[in-house]
Amino acid sequence: MIVLGLFGALFTIVIAGFGMTTSIFARTGRINLIECACLSWLFGCGIVSLLLWVFGAFCSGLPLQAIVALVCVVLVIVGWRAKQNANANIDLPKPATITEWILGCVILIEIAVLIFVAFKHTLGWDGLLNWEIKARYAFLNGGSIPASYYSSAGRGFSHPEYPLGIPFTELWLYLWMGEPNQFWVKIIFPSFYAACAPLLALLVSRLSGKRWIGLFIAVLLPFVPSVSASPGGIVVGYVDIPLSVFYLAALGYLLLWLKTNDRPFISVFAACSALLPWIKSEGIILWSVLVLLGFVLSLAKRRLAHFVISIVPGCALILAWRVYLKLVHLWPHSDFAPLSLSTLSQNLSRLGDIFGILFAELSEPVHWSIFWLLAAVALIYLFASRKLERIALASAVVAPILLYSLTYVFSTWPSYSAHMTSSVSRLLLHVMPAGWLGIGLALSQTKRETQTL
Amino acid sequence: MRALRYFHFVFWFALFAAFVWISAPIVWPAIRENRIGPIATNRSIDAYLGALSGIEHGSAKLPDVFRRLGKDGSLVVFVRDENAQSEFLGMMIGYVSWPREVQVIKVSGRTVEKELADIKPSSVAGVVFCSIDPPTWLQHRVRLGSSITLVPVTEAAP
Repeated sequence: MIVLGLFGALFTIVIAGFGMTTSIFARTGRINLIECACLSWLFGCGIVSLLLWVFGAFCSGLPLQAIVALVCVVLVIVGWRAKQNANANIDLPKPATITEWILGCVILIEIAVLIFVAFKHTLGWDGLLNWEIKARYAFLNGGSIPASYYSSAGRGFSHPEYPLGIPFTELWLYLWMGEPNQFWVKIIFPSFYAACAPLLALLVSRLSGKRWIGLFIAVLLPFVPSVSASPGGIVVGYVDIPLSVFYLAALGYLLLWLKTNDRPFISVFAACSALLPWIKSEGIILWSVLVLLGFVLSLAKRRLAHFVISIVPGCALILAWRVYLKLVHLWPHSDFAPLSLSTLSQNLSRLGDIFGILFAELSEPVHWSIFWLLAAVALIYLFASRKLERIALASAVVAPILLYSLTYVFSTWPSYSAHMTSSVSRLLLHVMPAGWLGIGLALSQTKRETQTL
Repeated sequence: MRALRYFHFVFWFALFAAFVWISAPIVWPAIRENRIGPIATNRSIDAYLGALSGIEHGSAKLPDVFRRLGKDGSLVVFVRDENAQSEFLGMMIGYVSWPREVQVIKVSGRTVEKELADIKPSSVAGVVFCSIDPPTWLQHRVRLGSSITLVPVTEAAP
């Protein structure tokens, strides 16, 4: 019964996302099934968690579950009708060569292995005490987090101010399973990897014009030890990998839009970038980086109006979450001091240590192997290409790392170096798939850029 | 031009080979470690409480014990500052004791005499010590595992 409920939850997530994806791509006349499946998972998690948050304010228990499930069904019907009206075909792209077949099979095997591995581990410290705790308390309260949780000083350790994207996806599974099952809920995290690898292959293929390079890069992705073997990876139920997938998708589709001017791409960017701050607080930094880069690039391409419209959902979500935290009287708790010039000047001497720790982390083989060396070489290629889009991609990898590092200037921990050491490896995960995108484009180094997937 | 292109791919594939060569010995053992299961509702919290304090099925036992303290009153949880295991246990107590209000107090020393004196018994149901020895004068201690001790509040007042 529990497993049946689990399938019900996953099915409703995917159909909600499928409805939205097909609505977006219907007008193109051809819907790539792999792309559609990956985006369905991302959008589905976003939709379901947002619906639970919104409707949870008005109802709870079975009515809440029924309303959200009904909206998921309505979304898939709307999406399907849009596809039928546009006479669009759903197409499963098949590998064209033996190399592509082999690489595609390896990707599938890697996904299967990571799903298996995820179930061998318990939820990690943050996975349990920052994220799952919210899902559990909401489940015990019928589907919404009680206001007393936000104002509870004693539970400040669980960061009540963190957004609910992943906790409410977990909650959705709990509601369907009928219990807060910490074993089955872990399916969420390798599912994000299962969306990430094909999406990375697809984006590299489209941007480079070479499908085998996309597949090859996706094959290499799980060899970054942090994905499976270190704190923050898929196996411990942290939200860093999910956030990195949303960032990859938002960045990739922004670049595709700039390259092709196809409307569906900017719609995907709008949705994925809007969900960044909903997955983790640091998502605001990633969103800001994308907004800045997108602004410059769309200005250069004279497409500013469309771009400005695309950032409205993100602005709305950030604002809504801030207002909500005010309304629930959040207990003031933060690891960082408010941004001010006096704090900045007072702590400026930290910069040397901060960049020392950053360099030590980037060159830590147990966490990264030589991934950051590869990324650094790729960045040189991208900057040297003198193409605006490629420079933007390189900036999208570098800027978050610099901004994340600078935040430790405002750390309120007794030891800011301990604060940084304990968290920077997870923050670097956020840009890791984007780094692979850069590596793929550096490897391709081609003038012929066509869409092959 | 062709030589340059050849060099480009050789260079990148040398980097990829080195990357996989270094990664594989780290990733492979991580993939192999542990076994699946048990497929239990409170799989993670039970595993942590079992490993850190030797409590079997802690997610069910601890709330049951706290329930017996009565409906009202908060739990005061003492943890040792800069001791990751003690702090983690304190958070676990906070996790499983929901919806009861908790107050986690970090102490630097091995004793908590002074902090105990500050507790107002009227609003507290019990005091929990995580990897900290309760004062010797405290009677009626309930051991909840190798490193967690509960003292109902009527006993905790000096």
